[in-house]
Amino acid sequence: MSNSKAVLDETPFQTAGPFLHIGCLPNAINIEGVFDTDLGVKPFANKDYDKFITITGSVFDGDGKALDDIMLETWQSDENGVYSPECGFARFVPDSLTKKFNLFTLKPGFINDIDGKAQSPHILLSISSRGLNMTLNTRIYFEGDDLTSDPLLSTVKISRNDISSLVAKKIDEDIFLFDIFLQGDKETIFLDI
Amino acid sequence: MVEALIKRNLKIHPQLNFPDYKSSILRAPKNKKISFSSTSTEFSGPVFNKNILGNLDNDLTLNFSKNNILPIGHKIIVFGKISDQFCNPIEGALIEIWQANAAGKYLHHNDNNSAPIDPNFAGCGRSITSSKGYYEFITIQPGPYPYPNRGIEWRPMHIHFSVFGKSFGQRLITQMYFEGDPLINSCPMVNSIPDEKAKQSLISTLDTSRSNTQKLLSYKFDIILRGTNQTFFENRKEGL
Ligand SMILES: [Fe+3]
Repeated sequence: MSNSKAVLDETPFQTAGPFLHIGCLPNAINIEGVFDTDLGVKPFANKDYDKFITITGSVFDGDGKALDDIMLETWQSDENGVYSPECGFARFVPDSLTKKFNLFTLKPGFINDIDGKAQSPHILLSISSRGLNMTLNTRIYFEGDDLTSDPLLSTVKISRNDISSLVAKKIDEDIFLFDIFLQGDKETIFLDI
Repeated sequence: MVEALIKRNLKIHPQLNFPDYKSSILRAPKNKKISFSSTSTEFSGPVFNKNILGNLDNDLTLNFSKNNILPIGHKIIVFGKISDQFCNPIEGALIEIWQANAAGKYLHHNDNNSAPIDPNFAGCGRSITSSKGYYEFITIQPGPYPYPNRGIEWRPMHIHFSVFGKSFGQRLITQMYFEGDPLINSCPMVNSIPDEKAKQSLISTLDTSRSNTQKLLSYKFDIILRGTNQTFFENRKEGL
Protein backbone atom coordinates (compact mmCIF):
# COMPACT_ATOMS: atom_id res chain seq x y z
CA MET A 1 0.00 0.00 0.00
CA SER A 2 1.52 3.29 -1.08
CA ASN A 3 0.55 6.45 0.72
CA SER A 4 1.56 9.28 -1.58
CA LYS A 5 1.97 10.09 -5.24
CA ALA A 6 5.24 11.23 -6.79
CA VAL A 7 5.16 14.87 -7.81
CA LEU A 8 8.17 14.85 -10.14
CA ASP A 9 9.32 12.55 -12.94
CA GLU A 10 12.68 10.87 -12.57
CA THR A 11 15.49 12.23 -14.78
CA PRO A 12 15.70 9.89 -17.80
CA PHE A 13 18.69 7.66 -18.55
CA GLN A 14 21.01 8.10 -21.51
CA THR A 15 23.66 5.70 -22.75
CA ALA A 16 26.98 5.72 -20.88
CA GLY A 17 28.66 5.65 -24.30
CA PRO A 18 32.02 4.12 -25.21
CA PHE A 19 34.18 6.41 -23.07
CA LEU A 20 32.65 5.81 -19.64
CA HIS A 21 36.04 4.77 -18.22
CA ILE A 22 37.15 8.42 -18.23
CA GLY A 23 34.65 9.28 -15.52
CA CYS A 24 34.21 5.97 -13.73
CA LEU A 25 37.55 4.14 -14.02
CA PRO A 26 40.15 6.72 -15.14
CA ASN A 27 43.12 4.94 -13.58
CA ALA A 28 42.19 1.78 -15.50
CA ILE A 29 42.79 3.62 -18.79
CA ASN A 30 45.96 5.32 -17.55
CA ILE A 31 44.42 8.69 -16.72
CA GLU A 32 46.52 8.97 -13.60
CA GLY A 33 46.85 11.70 -11.04
CA VAL A 34 43.25 12.95 -11.10
CA PHE A 35 41.56 10.52 -8.67
CA ASP A 36 43.69 8.62 -6.12
CA THR A 37 41.98 5.32 -6.83
CA ASP A 38 39.10 4.08 -8.93
CA LEU A 39 35.99 3.31 -6.89
CA GLY A 40 34.88 -0.27 -6.31
CA VAL A 41 38.24 -1.93 -6.95
CA LYS A 42 37.80 -3.99 -3.76
CA PRO A 43 34.23 -4.67 -2.59
CA PHE A 44 35.34 -5.80 0.91
CA ALA A 45 38.75 -4.29 1.64
CA ASN A 46 38.77 -5.30 5.31
CA LYS A 47 37.56 -8.88 5.04
CA ASP A 48 39.51 -12.10 5.11
CA TYR A 49 40.41 -13.17 1.55
CA ASP A 50 40.31 -16.87 2.58
CA LYS A 51 36.55 -16.73 2.38
CA PHE A 52 36.39 -15.08 -1.04
CA ILE A 53 34.98 -16.57 -4.22
CA THR A 54 35.65 -15.67 -7.85
CA ILE A 55 32.82 -15.04 -10.26
CA THR A 56 33.95 -15.06 -13.88
CA GLY A 57 32.16 -14.70 -17.19
CA SER A 58 31.66 -12.69 -20.36
CA VAL A 59 28.97 -10.42 -21.74
CA PHE A 60 27.85 -11.40 -25.26
CA ASP A 61 26.05 -9.25 -27.84
CA GLY A 62 23.48 -10.46 -30.39
CA ASP A 63 26.25 -11.72 -32.69
CA GLY A 64 27.72 -13.82 -29.89
CA LYS A 65 30.68 -11.50 -29.61
CA ALA A 66 32.17 -11.07 -26.12
CA LEU A 67 32.32 -7.37 -25.27
CA ASP A 68 35.06 -5.45 -23.54
CA ASP A 69 33.89 -1.82 -23.85
CA ILE A 70 31.36 -2.15 -21.04
CA MET A 71 31.27 -1.42 -17.32
CA LEU A 72 29.92 -3.83 -14.73
CA GLU A 73 28.87 -2.83 -11.22
CA THR A 74 27.78 -5.09 -8.39
CA TRP A 75 26.07 -4.50 -5.06
CA GLN A 76 25.75 -7.19 -2.42
CA SER A 77 25.48 -8.09 1.25
CA ASP A 78 28.26 -9.60 3.34
CA GLU A 79 28.52 -13.29 4.27
CA ASN A 80 25.83 -12.80 6.95
CA GLY A 81 23.32 -11.23 4.58
CA VAL A 82 23.85 -7.74 5.94
CA TYR A 83 24.04 -4.66 3.69
CA SER A 84 26.26 -1.83 4.81
CA PRO A 85 26.88 1.40 2.89
CA GLU A 86 30.69 1.23 3.30
CA CYS A 87 31.25 -2.08 1.54
CA GLY A 88 29.81 -4.50 -0.99
CA PHE A 89 30.11 -2.33 -4.10
CA ALA A 90 32.38 -3.33 -6.99
CA ARG A 91 33.04 -1.82 -10.40
CA PHE A 92 35.02 -3.63 -13.11
CA VAL A 93 35.50 -4.22 -16.83
CA PRO A 94 36.23 -7.38 -18.83
CA ASP A 95 39.87 -8.04 -19.71
CA SER A 96 40.59 -6.64 -23.19
CA LEU A 97 42.37 -9.84 -24.32
CA THR A 98 40.31 -12.65 -22.76
CA LYS A 99 37.02 -10.63 -22.72
CA LYS A 100 36.33 -12.18 -19.31
CA PHE A 101 35.52 -10.34 -16.11
CA ASN A 102 36.62 -11.59 -12.69
CA LEU A 103 34.88 -10.50 -9.52
CA PHE A 104 36.78 -11.49 -6.36
CA THR A 105 34.35 -11.10 -3.48
CA LEU A 106 32.61 -12.61 -0.46
CA LYS A 107 29.81 -15.03 -1.13
CA PRO A 108 26.73 -13.20 0.18
CA GLY A 109 24.52 -14.79 2.85
CA PHE A 110 20.77 -15.34 3.07
CA ILE A 111 19.06 -11.96 3.53
CA ASN A 112 16.25 -11.57 6.04
CA ASP A 113 14.11 -8.79 4.65
CA ILE A 114 12.12 -6.53 6.91
CA ASP A 115 8.85 -8.03 5.69
CA GLY A 116 9.95 -11.37 7.18
CA LYS A 117 10.75 -13.03 3.84
CA ALA A 118 14.20 -14.54 3.30
CA GLN A 119 16.03 -13.89 0.04
CA SER A 120 18.49 -16.46 -1.25
CA PRO A 121 22.11 -15.28 -1.50
CA HIS A 122 22.50 -13.05 -4.54
CA ILE A 123 24.42 -10.15 -6.05
CA LEU A 124 22.80 -7.28 -7.95
CA LEU A 125 24.67 -6.73 -11.23
CA SER A 126 24.36 -3.75 -13.55
CA ILE A 127 25.75 -3.30 -17.06
CA SER A 128 26.36 0.06 -18.73
CA SER A 129 27.77 0.57 -22.21
CA ARG A 130 27.61 2.07 -25.65
CA GLY A 131 24.40 0.85 -27.32
CA LEU A 132 22.50 0.53 -24.03
CA ASN A 133 20.16 3.50 -23.66
CA MET A 134 19.56 2.45 -20.05
CA THR A 135 21.73 0.56 -17.60
CA LEU A 136 20.64 -3.10 -17.45
CA ASN A 137 20.16 -4.88 -14.14
CA THR A 138 20.10 -8.54 -13.27
CA ARG A 139 20.92 -10.76 -10.28
CA ILE A 140 23.52 -13.46 -9.73
CA TYR A 141 22.26 -16.40 -7.64
CA PHE A 142 24.45 -19.42 -6.88
CA GLU A 143 24.18 -23.06 -7.91
CA GLY A 144 24.02 -25.24 -4.80
CA ASP A 145 22.02 -22.77 -2.69
CA ASP A 146 18.37 -23.27 -1.76
CA LEU A 147 16.55 -21.14 -4.33
CA THR A 148 13.04 -22.51 -3.76
CA SER A 149 11.58 -19.75 -1.60
CA ASP A 150 13.31 -16.65 -2.93
CA PRO A 151 10.64 -13.95 -3.56
CA LEU A 152 12.20 -12.52 -6.73
CA LEU A 153 12.78 -15.94 -8.32
CA SER A 154 9.14 -16.83 -7.53
CA THR A 155 8.04 -13.68 -9.38
CA VAL A 156 10.28 -14.48 -12.35
CA LYS A 157 8.88 -18.02 -12.59
CA ILE A 158 5.38 -16.63 -13.21
CA SER A 159 6.39 -15.25 -16.62
CA ARG A 160 9.51 -17.27 -17.54
CA ASN A 161 9.90 -21.00 -17.18
CA ASP A 162 13.69 -20.97 -17.24
CA ILE A 163 15.50 -19.06 -14.50
CA SER A 164 18.92 -20.60 -15.20
CA SER A 165 20.30 -17.33 -16.65
CA LEU A 166 20.14 -15.89 -13.11
CA VAL A 167 22.14 -18.71 -11.51
CA ALA A 168 25.96 -18.81 -11.54
CA LYS A 169 27.34 -22.29 -12.24
CA LYS A 170 29.77 -23.73 -9.74
CA ILE A 171 32.85 -24.74 -11.75
CA ASP A 172 35.23 -25.31 -8.84
CA GLU A 173 35.21 -25.14 -5.03
CA ASP A 174 35.15 -21.34 -4.95
CA ILE A 175 34.79 -20.40 -8.61
CA PHE A 176 31.48 -19.58 -10.28
CA LEU A 177 30.70 -18.94 -13.96
CA PHE A 178 28.14 -16.28 -14.89
CA ASP A 179 27.88 -15.48 -18.61
CA ILE A 180 25.49 -12.75 -19.71
CA PHE A 181 23.67 -12.77 -23.05
CA LEU A 182 22.22 -9.43 -24.14
CA GLN A 183 20.17 -11.08 -26.93
CA GLY A 184 19.38 -14.41 -28.58
CA ASP A 185 18.15 -17.86 -27.48
CA LYS A 186 20.01 -17.58 -24.22
CA GLU A 187 19.05 -13.94 -23.49
CA THR A 188 19.63 -13.19 -19.80
CA ILE A 189 16.63 -12.19 -17.70
CA PHE A 190 16.89 -8.47 -16.93
CA LEU A 191 15.08 -6.76 -14.08
CA ASP A 192 13.16 -3.53 -13.74
CA ILE A 193 14.70 -2.75 -10.36
CA MET B 1 6.01 0.92 8.07
CA VAL B 2 9.14 0.38 5.99
CA GLU B 3 10.48 2.37 3.11
CA ALA B 4 10.65 1.02 -0.43
CA LEU B 5 11.48 2.53 -3.81
CA ILE B 6 8.50 3.58 -5.86
CA LYS B 7 7.99 1.87 -9.19
CA ARG B 8 9.97 3.29 -12.08
CA ASN B 9 7.89 4.93 -14.85
CA LEU B 10 9.51 3.38 -17.94
CA LYS B 11 7.56 5.72 -20.26
CA ILE B 12 9.86 8.65 -19.48
CA HIS B 13 13.03 6.60 -20.10
CA PRO B 14 14.64 5.85 -23.48
CA GLN B 15 13.65 2.79 -25.45
CA LEU B 16 16.33 0.11 -25.35
CA ASN B 17 15.50 -1.08 -28.87
CA PHE B 18 16.04 2.05 -30.92
CA PRO B 19 17.55 1.16 -34.33
CA ASP B 20 18.20 4.84 -35.23
CA TYR B 21 20.99 4.45 -32.67
CA LYS B 22 22.88 1.72 -34.48
CA SER B 23 24.85 0.40 -31.52
CA SER B 24 21.60 -0.56 -29.79
CA ILE B 25 20.71 -3.10 -32.49
CA LEU B 26 23.00 -5.87 -31.25
CA ARG B 27 23.00 -4.88 -27.58
CA ALA B 28 19.42 -4.10 -26.52
CA PRO B 29 17.67 -7.13 -24.98
CA LYS B 30 14.49 -8.18 -26.83
CA ASN B 31 12.48 -9.49 -23.88
CA LYS B 32 10.57 -7.31 -21.46
CA LYS B 33 12.23 -6.58 -18.13
CA ILE B 34 10.73 -8.34 -15.12
CA SER B 35 9.07 -6.01 -12.60
CA PHE B 36 8.92 -6.93 -8.92
CA SER B 37 8.45 -5.34 -5.51
CA SER B 38 11.70 -3.76 -4.43
CA THR B 39 13.64 -5.50 -1.66
CA SER B 40 16.40 -4.45 0.70
CA THR B 41 18.87 -5.22 -2.11
CA GLU B 42 17.64 -2.31 -4.23
CA PHE B 43 16.79 -0.09 -1.29
CA SER B 44 20.29 -0.24 0.17
CA GLY B 45 23.35 1.02 -1.66
CA PRO B 46 26.91 2.21 -1.32
CA VAL B 47 27.45 5.62 0.24
CA PHE B 48 30.62 7.51 -0.54
CA ASN B 49 32.36 9.63 2.04
CA LYS B 50 33.61 13.13 1.19
CA ASN B 51 37.10 12.00 2.19
CA ILE B 52 37.45 10.14 -1.14
CA LEU B 53 37.48 13.53 -2.89
CA GLY B 54 40.61 15.49 -3.71
CA ASN B 55 40.53 19.31 -3.65
CA LEU B 56 40.33 19.61 -7.44
CA ASP B 57 38.03 16.68 -8.19
CA ASN B 58 35.21 19.04 -9.25
CA ASP B 59 37.45 21.47 -11.15
CA LEU B 60 38.19 19.92 -14.54
CA THR B 61 40.12 23.01 -15.63
CA LEU B 62 42.77 22.33 -12.98
CA ASN B 63 42.66 18.64 -12.07
CA PHE B 64 44.80 17.57 -15.05
CA SER B 65 46.62 20.80 -15.85
CA LYS B 66 50.40 20.80 -16.07
CA ASN B 67 52.26 23.76 -14.55
CA ASN B 68 48.93 25.54 -14.00
CA ILE B 69 48.30 25.91 -17.74
CA LEU B 70 44.55 26.06 -18.32
CA PRO B 71 42.92 23.83 -20.91
CA ILE B 72 41.80 25.48 -24.17
CA GLY B 73 38.17 26.57 -24.42
CA HIS B 74 35.44 28.44 -22.59
CA LYS B 75 35.53 27.90 -18.85
CA ILE B 76 32.01 27.23 -17.54
CA ILE B 77 30.21 26.38 -14.32
CA VAL B 78 27.78 23.46 -14.26
CA PHE B 79 25.69 23.33 -11.12
CA GLY B 80 22.37 22.10 -9.81
CA LYS B 81 20.43 20.24 -7.20
CA ILE B 82 19.72 16.56 -6.75
CA SER B 83 16.38 15.68 -5.23
CA ASP B 84 14.01 12.75 -5.21
CA GLN B 85 10.58 12.57 -6.85
CA PHE B 86 8.99 14.02 -3.70
CA CYS B 87 11.26 17.11 -3.85
CA ASN B 88 13.45 15.97 -0.95
CA PRO B 89 17.03 17.13 -1.53
CA ILE B 90 19.55 14.27 -1.54
CA GLU B 91 22.61 14.91 0.57
CA GLY B 92 25.77 12.89 -0.01
CA ALA B 93 24.98 11.79 -3.56
CA LEU B 94 28.09 11.00 -5.61
CA ILE B 95 28.21 12.53 -9.10
CA GLU B 96 30.87 11.47 -11.58
CA ILE B 97 31.10 13.29 -14.91
CA TRP B 98 33.07 12.79 -18.11
CA GLN B 99 33.20 14.76 -21.34
CA ALA B 100 35.06 15.64 -24.51
CA ASN B 101 37.42 18.63 -24.60
CA ALA B 102 36.68 21.91 -26.40
CA ALA B 103 37.59 20.31 -29.74
CA GLY B 104 35.19 17.39 -29.22
CA LYS B 105 37.93 14.85 -28.41
CA TYR B 106 37.92 12.37 -25.51
CA LEU B 107 41.11 11.36 -23.76
CA HIS B 108 40.43 7.71 -24.58
CA HIS B 109 42.22 5.09 -26.69
CA ASN B 110 38.97 4.22 -28.50
CA ASP B 111 38.23 7.78 -29.66
CA ASN B 112 39.06 7.83 -33.38
CA ASN B 113 37.97 11.43 -33.97
CA SER B 114 40.87 13.32 -35.59
CA ALA B 115 40.45 16.38 -33.31
CA PRO B 116 43.40 17.21 -31.01
CA ILE B 117 43.69 16.09 -27.40
CA ASP B 118 44.35 18.81 -24.86
CA PRO B 119 47.35 17.91 -22.67
CA ASN B 120 45.82 19.86 -19.77
CA PHE B 121 42.36 18.31 -19.85
CA ALA B 122 41.35 14.78 -18.84
CA GLY B 123 37.60 15.39 -18.88
CA CYS B 124 36.73 13.66 -15.60
CA GLY B 125 35.38 15.08 -12.38
CA ARG B 126 33.41 14.07 -9.33
CA SER B 127 31.56 15.71 -6.48
CA ILE B 128 29.34 14.85 -3.51
CA THR B 129 26.17 16.87 -2.90
CA SER B 130 25.87 19.26 0.04
CA SER B 131 23.29 19.00 2.82
CA LYS B 132 20.78 20.77 0.58
CA GLY B 133 21.52 18.53 -2.41
CA TYR B 134 23.67 20.97 -4.40
CA TYR B 135 26.69 20.20 -6.57
CA GLU B 136 28.96 22.32 -8.76
CA PHE B 137 31.63 21.67 -11.37
CA ILE B 138 34.03 24.02 -13.09
CA THR B 139 34.90 22.77 -16.53
CA ILE B 140 35.42 23.59 -20.22
CA GLN B 141 32.51 23.82 -22.67
CA PRO B 142 32.67 20.44 -24.47
CA GLY B 143 32.69 20.52 -28.27
CA PRO B 144 30.24 18.58 -30.46
CA TYR B 145 31.82 15.58 -32.20
CA PRO B 146 31.22 13.32 -35.20
CA TYR B 147 30.66 9.58 -34.73
CA PRO B 148 29.70 6.74 -37.06
CA ASN B 149 25.99 5.90 -36.87
CA ARG B 150 23.80 6.12 -40.00
CA GLY B 151 26.82 7.46 -41.83
CA ILE B 152 28.62 10.18 -39.89
CA GLU B 153 26.43 12.02 -37.39
CA TRP B 154 27.19 14.68 -34.81
CA ARG B 155 26.58 14.46 -31.09
CA PRO B 156 25.29 17.67 -29.53
CA MET B 157 27.53 19.17 -26.85
CA HIS B 158 27.04 17.09 -23.71
CA ILE B 159 28.45 15.99 -20.38
CA HIS B 160 27.98 12.41 -19.18
CA PHE B 161 26.67 12.05 -15.61
CA SER B 162 26.74 9.04 -13.29
CA VAL B 163 24.85 9.44 -10.01
CA PHE B 164 24.62 7.35 -6.83
CA GLY B 165 21.85 8.33 -4.40
CA LYS B 166 21.15 6.42 -1.21
CA SER B 167 19.79 3.26 -2.84
CA PHE B 168 21.27 1.18 -5.63
CA GLY B 169 17.80 1.37 -7.20
CA GLN B 170 18.27 5.15 -7.55
CA ARG B 171 21.42 4.69 -9.63
CA LEU B 172 21.30 6.88 -12.75
CA ILE B 173 23.55 7.29 -15.79
CA THR B 174 22.56 10.07 -18.15
CA GLN B 175 23.80 13.01 -20.24
CA MET B 176 23.35 16.75 -19.86
CA TYR B 177 22.85 18.91 -22.95
CA PHE B 178 23.16 22.68 -23.45
CA GLU B 179 20.28 25.07 -24.04
CA GLY B 180 20.06 26.26 -27.63
CA ASP B 181 22.25 23.58 -29.22
CA PRO B 182 20.76 22.92 -32.71
CA LEU B 183 22.15 19.35 -32.74
CA ILE B 184 19.92 18.18 -29.87
CA ASN B 185 16.78 17.66 -31.97
CA SER B 186 18.40 15.35 -34.51
CA CYS B 187 20.30 13.21 -31.98
CA PRO B 188 19.04 9.59 -31.96
CA MET B 189 20.21 9.07 -28.38
CA VAL B 190 18.09 12.01 -27.24
CA ASN B 191 15.21 10.87 -29.46
CA SER B 192 15.25 7.37 -27.96
CA ILE B 193 13.26 9.08 -25.17
CA PRO B 194 9.67 9.17 -26.48
CA ASP B 195 8.39 11.71 -23.95
CA GLU B 196 9.01 15.34 -24.98
CA LYS B 197 9.02 16.73 -21.43
CA ALA B 198 11.46 14.06 -20.29
CA LYS B 199 13.74 14.93 -23.22
CA GLN B 200 13.66 18.62 -22.27
CA SER B 201 14.63 17.76 -18.69
CA LEU B 202 18.11 16.77 -19.93
CA ILE B 203 18.81 20.23 -21.33
CA SER B 204 20.65 22.53 -18.92
CA THR B 205 19.66 26.18 -18.86
CA LEU B 206 21.92 29.19 -19.03
CA ASP B 207 21.81 31.04 -15.71
CA THR B 208 22.58 34.61 -16.76
CA SER B 209 22.41 36.16 -13.29
CA ARG B 210 25.12 33.90 -12.07
CA SER B 211 27.10 34.13 -15.34
CA ASN B 212 27.24 37.91 -15.05
CA THR B 213 28.38 38.02 -11.44
CA GLN B 214 30.96 35.26 -11.78
CA LYS B 215 32.13 36.23 -15.28
CA LEU B 216 31.74 32.61 -16.38
CA LEU B 217 28.83 31.12 -18.31
CA SER B 218 26.84 29.05 -15.82
CA TYR B 219 24.55 26.18 -16.71
CA LYS B 220 21.98 24.79 -14.30
CA PHE B 221 21.12 21.09 -14.42
CA ASP B 222 18.83 19.65 -11.73
CA ILE B 223 18.55 15.89 -11.35
CA ILE B 224 15.61 13.91 -9.97
CA LEU B 225 16.25 10.43 -8.56
CA ARG B 226 13.58 7.90 -7.63
CA GLY B 227 11.56 8.52 -4.52
CA THR B 228 10.74 6.19 -1.68
CA ASN B 229 7.35 5.41 -0.24
CA GLN B 230 6.42 4.01 3.10
CA THR B 231 4.90 0.57 2.74
CA PHE B 232 2.93 -1.28 5.38
CA PHE B 233 3.58 -4.97 5.87
CA GLU B 234 0.69 -6.77 7.60
CA ASN B 235 2.69 -9.73 8.82
CA ARG B 236 5.48 -7.63 10.16
CA LYS B 237 7.02 -8.91 13.37
CA GLU B 238 6.85 -6.70 16.45
CA GLY B 239 9.85 -4.43 16.86
CA LEU B 240 10.97 -4.41 13.24
FE1 LIG C 1 29.86 11.44 -25.27
